[in-house]
Amino acid sequence: MGKDIREDIAWAQINTDVLKSLENPRKLFWVIIFVALMMFGVGVGCEVYQYQTGMGVAGLNNPNVWGLYIATFIFWIGMSHSGTLLSAILHLMHADWRKPIYRFAEAMTTFSLMTAGLFVMVHLGRLWQFYYAVPYPNERWTWPNFQSPLLWDAMAIFTYLSSSVIFLYVGSIPDFAICRDNVHPGWRKKLYTLLALGWEGTDRQWRNFRVTYLTVACFLIPLAVSVHSIVASDFAMSQQPGWHVTSFPPYFVAGALYSGCAAIITLFIILRYVFKFEEYMTMPILKKTVRLTFAIAMVWTYLNWVEFATVWYSHDEVAKGVLIDKATGRFAPFWWAMNFCGSVVPFTMMIKRLQTNIPVMFAVSLLLNLGMWLERFMIVSPTFSHGYYPWTMDANYWPSMVQWGIVFGSFGWFTLLFMTFCKIVPSVSMYEVKEMVYHRSLATKKAELGLEGGH
Amino acid sequence: MSVSNLLENWSKFRHNHPVEDKGHPDWQAYPSEIKWAMAIDLDACTGCNACSVACYAENNLPVVGKEKYSHGQAMHWMRIERYWDEDNREFPDQGAQFLPMLCQQCEAAPCETVCPVGATNHTEDGLNSQIYNRCIGSRYCSANCPYKVRYFNWYDYPSTENVWPAPMEQQLNPDLTVRGKGVMEKCTFCKQRTYTARNNAKTEGRKIHDGDVQTACQQACPTNAISFGNLFDPESRVAKQWEQQQVELIKAEQEKDVKPGNNLRGYRIFEELRPYPSVMYLERVRENGV
Amino acid sequence: MIENGFNRRDFLKVLGWGGTAVALSGCGNTSIENGKETVVSYVEPEDYAIPSIGVYFNSTCAQCDAGCNIEGRVREGRVLKLEGNPGSFINRGKMCGLGQAGVQAHYNPDRVREPLLRNGSQGETLTWDKALSLINDKLNGVKGEEIAFLTGGVSGHVKVLLNNYLDALGSKNHYAYEAVSPSVVRAANKKAYGVEMPRLRLDKAKVIVSFGADFLGAWVSPVHFSQQYAQFRKGNRPEGRGVLVQIESKMTLTGANADRWIPIRPGTEGILALGIVNALGAGIPADAVAAAKDYTADRVSKDTGVPAEQIIRLAELLKERSPSLVLAGAAAEGYAHGSQNAAAIALLNQVLGNVGKTVEAPANAQFAQITPTTGNRAALRSLNDSMAQGKLKVLFSYGANPVYTAPDALKLQDNLKKVPFKVVFAHYLDETALEADLVLPLDSALEDWGTSIPEYQVEPHLSIQQPLMERLYPNTRGVGDILLALLKQRRADEYKAYEDFYSYLRGAVVQNKAALGGAGADDDAFWNETLSNALVKLPGAAGSLSGKASAVGLTLPAPAAEVVAYPLRLIPSVSASMRDGRHANLSWLQESPDPLTTVVWDSWVEIHPKTAAKLGIVEGDIVEVASQNGSVTSQAYLFPGIHPDAISMPLGYGHEAMGRYAKGTGVNVFKILDPVFDKETGELAINETNVRISKVGNRVVVVKEEGPNGGSQLGRKKIAVKVSSDKVDLSKEV
Repeated sequence: MGKDIREDIAWAQINTDVLKSLENPRKLFWVIIFVALMMFGVGVGCEVYQYQTGMGVAGLNNPNVWGLYIATFIFWIGMSHSGTLLSAILHLMHADWRKPIYRFAEAMTTFSLMTAGLFVMVHLGRLWQFYYAVPYPNERWTWPNFQSPLLWDAMAIFTYLSSSVIFLYVGSIPDFAICRDNVHPGWRKKLYTLLALGWEGTDRQWRNFRVTYLTVACFLIPLAVSVHSIVASDFAMSQQPGWHVTSFPPYFVAGALYSGCAAIITLFIILRYVFKFEEYMTMPILKKTVRLTFAIAMVWTYLNWVEFATVWYSHDEVAKGVLIDKATGRFAPFWWAMNFCGSVVPFTMMIKRLQTNIPVMFAVSLLLNLGMWLERFMIVSPTFSHGYYPWTMDANYWPSMVQWGIVFGSFGWFTLLFMTFCKIVPSVSMYEVKEMVYHRSLATKKAELGLEGGH
Repeated sequence: MSVSNLLENWSKFRHNHPVEDKGHPDWQAYPSEIKWAMAIDLDACTGCNACSVACYAENNLPVVGKEKYSHGQAMHWMRIERYWDEDNREFPDQGAQFLPMLCQQCEAAPCETVCPVGATNHTEDGLNSQIYNRCIGSRYCSANCPYKVRYFNWYDYPSTENVWPAPMEQQLNPDLTVRGKGVMEKCTFCKQRTYTARNNAKTEGRKIHDGDVQTACQQACPTNAISFGNLFDPESRVAKQWEQQQVELIKAEQEKDVKPGNNLRGYRIFEELRPYPSVMYLERVRENGV
Repeated sequence: MIENGFNRRDFLKVLGWGGTAVALSGCGNTSIENGKETVVSYVEPEDYAIPSIGVYFNSTCAQCDAGCNIEGRVREGRVLKLEGNPGSFINRGKMCGLGQAGVQAHYNPDRVREPLLRNGSQGETLTWDKALSLINDKLNGVKGEEIAFLTGGVSGHVKVLLNNYLDALGSKNHYAYEAVSPSVVRAANKKAYGVEMPRLRLDKAKVIVSFGADFLGAWVSPVHFSQQYAQFRKGNRPEGRGVLVQIESKMTLTGANADRWIPIRPGTEGILALGIVNALGAGIPADAVAAAKDYTADRVSKDTGVPAEQIIRLAELLKERSPSLVLAGAAAEGYAHGSQNAAAIALLNQVLGNVGKTVEAPANAQFAQITPTTGNRAALRSLNDSMAQGKLKVLFSYGANPVYTAPDALKLQDNLKKVPFKVVFAHYLDETALEADLVLPLDSALEDWGTSIPEYQVEPHLSIQQPLMERLYPNTRGVGDILLALLKQRRADEYKAYEDFYSYLRGAVVQNKAALGGAGADDDAFWNETLSNALVKLPGAAGSLSGKASAVGLTLPAPAAEVVAYPLRLIPSVSASMRDGRHANLSWLQESPDPLTTVVWDSWVEIHPKTAAKLGIVEGDIVEVASQNGSVTSQAYLFPGIHPDAISMPLGYGHEAMGRYAKGTGVNVFKILDPVFDKETGELAINETNVRISKVGNRVVVVKEEGPNGGSQLGRKKIAVKVSSDKVDLSKEV
């Protein structure tokens, strides 16, 4: 397998390498920011048009009242589970190999949630009154409807977002301190001083830190599971065919983890290359990530097949109709693509040679995420087009350019956020890598001693 | 805005849909004396579309025009569906069949539970209410409706050209809103009429009589295929029809259907999904031997 | 709350109109000083009108010839919605969709608002005085036979004034033209029963066999017949539940409601009728036997395409269940031998003994001057011939749009140009109004006074039409007022007592109050009560049927041979909403799906799937439908309810003018009809056009209610359930 990290990297070296990524960016950075801004601009333009004219420009109709907005919303929420998986779950499992990569994964979580939040707004017919869903004191004594899964969504996502932000921030405090101590005076130093909250690295602070971090990790994990289960219950709690399946919550959570891990691979490869983090985001770690992704892929595949199986043996004619329509109707190419990307493509990750082949893994990770986006699309649209009521079965619906534009724009938004993050917050957790190197060197010494003083 | 109010009424809040062995929940106002219901005789329905046009006239429905209609964005609260016999014969030698489909005003409406802001609720006279100014347009209610009878305002029709060009806006019924963009709407059993009738009866100190209020569709229908009234009033035509057809409101499967061979023709659509719809249809009758 | 462009000023203006009108017409109750009010409240309703509560006024619907009685809900001085008048003999409180759209005709944005005088290709506004004096000038020196008045069907006091005006002009040229009318059947009825429109008792029949009579859709008096049909279908009437058999080449709305729909080769309806007579066997009059001798089931089956067992079964059904009712509709009469078809079908009624049972005599209405003059298509032909020969110098047109409804083959538009002065009374600038030299804008039906008697009478009565609100535009006039003004030009003395048409009408009705059931009543009270009901019973002795459905001279031609170049027969269809196209500018009607195809906002070409498969046509293909006299292109729609040798297109679309909703919507099928006429009556035979279809090359998605994938019928078993009549007991139903 190889070592996750070399044990002889000097701590000062770690600082230098990581802080280098925070320097003034090269031209390529600005080019990509510009492109991302343009993409986001397209999205904003489409939304302004839709806001002023009405949701009809999205091409939605009766019965297809939900479209890409909901599908992409779920996609982004799904992406957000990567961070929690890597930072919180693997933290509790003492999987050290997560240490160099969890920081950007956490960031990905936070920004995915922020992007998903956009879609909730964009999807509303009367966006300017979204605050009706918030239980604020009003003269009509009205509460929002607590029976509605959409409302649980709102609450769950808000909780998750705020917890993730806290988790990301708290976990970065020691790193901010390092930055504060090592950058040149200027706006950056002021910023890091502010963010570091006076971190000295004393024993007491470290002990408090560990406890806090662990606590937040502990409640973040059930939050992550519950958030996507609640998003799944948007569908599972309705009675529409193709949705009313109890396996939806675990299916969605599995899909989310899957999606997140695939995104981690993508960003891993990008950051590794851009910031030259080869020493930290090592091949063995990539391998482990890839294998983890494969495991989750199999879980997702299983749950996917569970959905088919339950439809099949339920003898529920309407649900069967939806499934057959997915496989043979006008969305069939997407459905088959989803199954291919989600269940067949991961097998490339079983091939040892390919597990560390950067271009292949990059392509694979993108394909996996494409598959996952298609999965969300396949959950939303076929049930509308082929629901209970035959008269309204509609073979004519297709998302309009406005919908595609806003989806496109969301990727721009995410990129903007992520790239800003990369230049302000160290994307590799310096203190954790130092811990990792320390433990590695301890282990090596023990091994040597053990070998020497064998008898 | 009262937490104590919420807690006090939590049990009512939770149990605001009827359950088969428990019947209606015991609100102060419910069971009220009125439960509006409808019966549509598919044998008498000729498919003439008079009811649909009357609904447009009464309820300020916008005409969306050819392009928006082609996108499936029509606003007809009452749509007339036309069915052929399924067996691929060369000619439809038993004619066609027409079914007016409108909001079924379900007692356990799937749309009511899922609205995030509570814009759709159940009224004490048994209607499924849609509160336009509360609606934020999440469209979950339409997603959960098995009949797909909820219609969303995809555009701002009052300001759209050629929907109500002057002086057509003078025809608008002032008794109800003209909806702007982003809100969901659906058949209300002519709420503006039932409300007026109830108020009139209250002012006069009497109960509502059968025939005091007619929905626009019922009033127009040339063959009297639609009957509408108070299901709790045993003298009303609709109550008599439901009783004669042995269809009960809060049942997912009627006793008469347990064994085959009853010669009644009243049924409800998607009864087995348990929304407890308030519209009963009477099967179309055709003589086969001619 | 209305959040649209309807601004406060307009709202108050309307109220002001209502209020001011009341204030001015009221006597003496001024607010501040007598005669010097400077403050007038915006809302000064009548005593009985409470703001926000609607008051219902009765009137008469003018959307079609059925003449149903309506009531309009009026609030704050404007009419909002129309309902049926529960006291009506015709519609008994019910309304069809076309009638509901009457408010849209009233509030239509494309109504003509000012008199217009042609100047080149533009119309310049002018005052009524100028317009009327211009007419007077143009009539100077013109002989009576050079003047013609084209109208639709007319009745009531407008008819009286019209006849008097023509008389004053010395003209006998009144052309009553209806593009869609059962005129052949009228003539056949006259021969067979002695009256043009006997009273039909669908509710008393046990079996109805309709040869294409769309009595539930657009034939004669659909709302009335629908109510009878509802009785007919009830299981708890003495006759038991009725059975409907519809025989036609293209399924109409009534055909969709039949227990048995029988597709028949176009034109062979009469042959089938005689085939049934033949199959009846014993017990029928000798001349009928003789006429039907050759029409054995096999021969008829070959000619019509109807299976022999079906013919025999039908005869048995009719024999078993009596009384029955046999009807002949547009489908049967629209041929060169349409009269023979109708005669054969009337013969069937006689042979079955229905005359006197389900075919009754209408009561004879007493006042001949106001009884309806029905419109037909032969009138158009004679008008066209007159114009072609340059015989006419002045033409008046009211309630007709011949430039739109005339087949191109008649070259009516060209012939119109030969008439030097044309005056059109118009609601819209339709195709005919655009050809006019002078356009006179009409009050809408909800703004106007009038009386009418519908052609199809249940109880003889006079319907009153009264304004449901003040006129929307100050410069429109009612047709009665215009005619009165024109009459005053000719016969000033006779008519000077009448200030306006209202006073003439009132005078005429009140004068006859004794005959109208108001003997001894106070004039005002009688008039108010009449207005309040908006209908008054006419005295009339019970009539009797005197004709004889005779088989003598009944010859039916063999089924038409296929014309090689034009292999398909075009059957134009009349829908309840579109009719002859006069209401194409009402958006509710355009948006209301055709009941059978569910197509909206466009024309279509109905093709049987077998025929379409042979021609390689799928739904949405744009096809060209070409007859010898023109062609139109429209979208193809595969429709199982049509004979494979026929195609059908709806009438009423394809306006080139008239308004924003009508213009450019669909194609005009009237144009391409072949100029074939019924031999006996001279009526245009609308089902005699042979066409060929060819694909133009592009394909569209048909815009329709049933959804783009051809209408999923999956709901048939679970949702729209049908039950066989032997499995259900209707006798105990409520």
